[in-house]
Amino acid sequence: MSITHKLQSLQPISPESRTKSQLQPEIAIAANNVSMTIQSPAGQVPVLKGISLEVKRGTVHLLMGPSGAGKTTLLLILSGLLSPSAGNVLLLGEDITTLSRRQQERFRLQHIGFVAQDFNLFPALTAIENVLFALVLKGLRGKIARQSAQHLLEQVGLVEKADHLPRELSGGQQQRVAIARALANQPQLIMADEPTASLDSHSGRAVMELLQNLTREQGCTVLMVTHDSRIVEMANQVTQLEDGMISITQIIPRLGDEQ
Amino acid sequence: MVSLARKNLFEDKVRFLVAEAGIVFAVGLVTIQVGILHGFTRSTALLIDRSRADIWVASNDAINLDLTSPISYDRLRQAQKVAGVAQAEPLTVQGAVWRGSNGELNTVRLIGFDPNGTLLTPGTITAGKQSDLNQPYSIMVDSTDLQSLGLQQVNNTGQVGSFRAQVVGFTKGIQSNADSPFLLTSLQSAKAYSCSHSVSTATPVTSPPLNALTPQDSINFILVQAQPGQDLQALKQRLDAALPGTHAYTRQEFADKTEYYWEKRTSVGFILGLGAIVGVIVGSVIVSQILYASVTDHVREFGTIKAMGASDWKTYSIIVEQSLWMALFGYIPAMIACIGLGAWTATTQAVLILITPVTAAGIFVVAVVMCTGAALVAIQKATRVEPGVVFRA
Repeated sequence: MSITHKLQSLQPISPESRTKSQLQPEIAIAANNVSMTIQSPAGQVPVLKGISLEVKRGTVHLLMGPSGAGKTTLLLILSGLLSPSAGNVLLLGEDITTLSRRQQERFRLQHIGFVAQDFNLFPALTAIENVLFALVLKGLRGKIARQSAQHLLEQVGLVEKADHLPRELSGGQQQRVAIARALANQPQLIMADEPTASLDSHSGRAVMELLQNLTREQGCTVLMVTHDSRIVEMANQVTQLEDGMISITQIIPRLGDEQ
Repeated sequence: MVSLARKNLFEDKVRFLVAEAGIVFAVGLVTIQVGILHGFTRSTALLIDRSRADIWVASNDAINLDLTSPISYDRLRQAQKVAGVAQAEPLTVQGAVWRGSNGELNTVRLIGFDPNGTLLTPGTITAGKQSDLNQPYSIMVDSTDLQSLGLQQVNNTGQVGSFRAQVVGFTKGIQSNADSPFLLTSLQSAKAYSCSHSVSTATPVTSPPLNALTPQDSINFILVQAQPGQDLQALKQRLDAALPGTHAYTRQEFADKTEYYWEKRTSVGFILGLGAIVGVIVGSVIVSQILYASVTDHVREFGTIKAMGASDWKTYSIIVEQSLWMALFGYIPAMIACIGLGAWTATTQAVLILITPVTAAGIFVVAVVMCTGAALVAIQKATRVEPGVVFRA
């Protein structure tokens, strides 16, 4: 079944529920009329056109769509890594578009973890050192930092690989180390860009289960860009982008979920 | 704690070693240039430094050990009468022409002093005795000058001017790199040699009997030993007053004056300083290239670090730490090599590459400044890395 068919079979969200005047406490991420225009030799090119979006706390929210739809650009804006040309973004109630660059850095350090397609591990550091790096950035030192790093690797099931370099790990293992590192600052938000794209189905499923557990057990909110239709059922909500605009936003119902 | 800077630097060992070779060269070049300059200028004052005189009395217009006007020998007697003077000895320094047994000519510097005195020490005597210089027309030479003087052993002979000169001993540790080979001899022999003329053949003329110096004779310096507990500055003033046309210096003052001349009033300081600057430039370029390449190779890592929320200072600290490691690992082998080189040149070539602890510390600072300064280019690049690269394939 294609992604489009899958989404069309699900319960749609009404347009009125997407617009907002006030951020509800259960909303972790809110984009309000976000637009992005880039300069190219051909002139101004609109990449995002008036995107309004809400992501509930403790959920896995997918951004899907064809290549060039603006998914990664939207993810960068919602992560505070790119400033939109128009609109604003609220993360955990904070309007990050009004923050200074240094304030945005501090916000990311305190609240956001990143998981990328290419893992972005530091190749010269072992698995535990990759995690330690993030912990030290947060301010931990010495024995406490080391113990925390080991605990995080335990969480992702890789404590026995702690002293391995990234090149000595499989793709799935590297991604799990990247997730452990992303969790070092105990984030409330995890921004992931194609985290399963470089993985086989088994590893990809394992990574998704890990992220799902984080939303259930730690109340993290996961916003993920993906092309992987296999993981749609594992998400809570899917937003389909096309040509810089939202075409569909669907809730994925499952038994026992509170929506 | 984990050091990304160190680990990234050492990740590619071959590149690291190549980079360090360049830094070793640069630091070594700076060290050698500075060491030669210090050694050179220090060697010009070795004879002064190693004397036991507290005060050196010279003519008013004295510039350094070699460049001074003569003073009357009678001044010696006057100096001995000045209150606070325990002992005074004369010294002559003059140029001459040497002809070795092989017939080759060389310019030499005759150092005429009292072989029975104690205030001028002819360095470390390695063969013969100082008292052997009481023999007429006898000389002692620095062992590093043997080859240039065409000498091999004690009792070899040569000519100073037209008079015969017999080697009665060897010494070391006083030869100036800025000067001709020193020939140490008695005052009487020096006086005779100063009256001799060069001859066109290698056959010396018959040397006349030596005469003692008279008040009409000239000397160049009076070496003074103060009585115990004397205020040297006050003694200097008394000597100045008692000996018109002269000026008294402490040993250190005269050594400094001599060194200053060579360092500042000749082109030696400029030339060697220029060489040191070239070394710093070379080292800066090498470090700059390596760190820039390292940042380029690790641009995604820097983007990831920024995405994680690290401030620019974290980025700077990584690159600066790398530059410090490069400075340290370039400095240590360079310094070891230069100290070894200095020991060899001092022993075999009589060239002093002087690396004092202060010099070594100063060069370490130069190495650190050179490397951290060169890191600025890499820092500029790292600062411009967009954190959004974390999500770009």
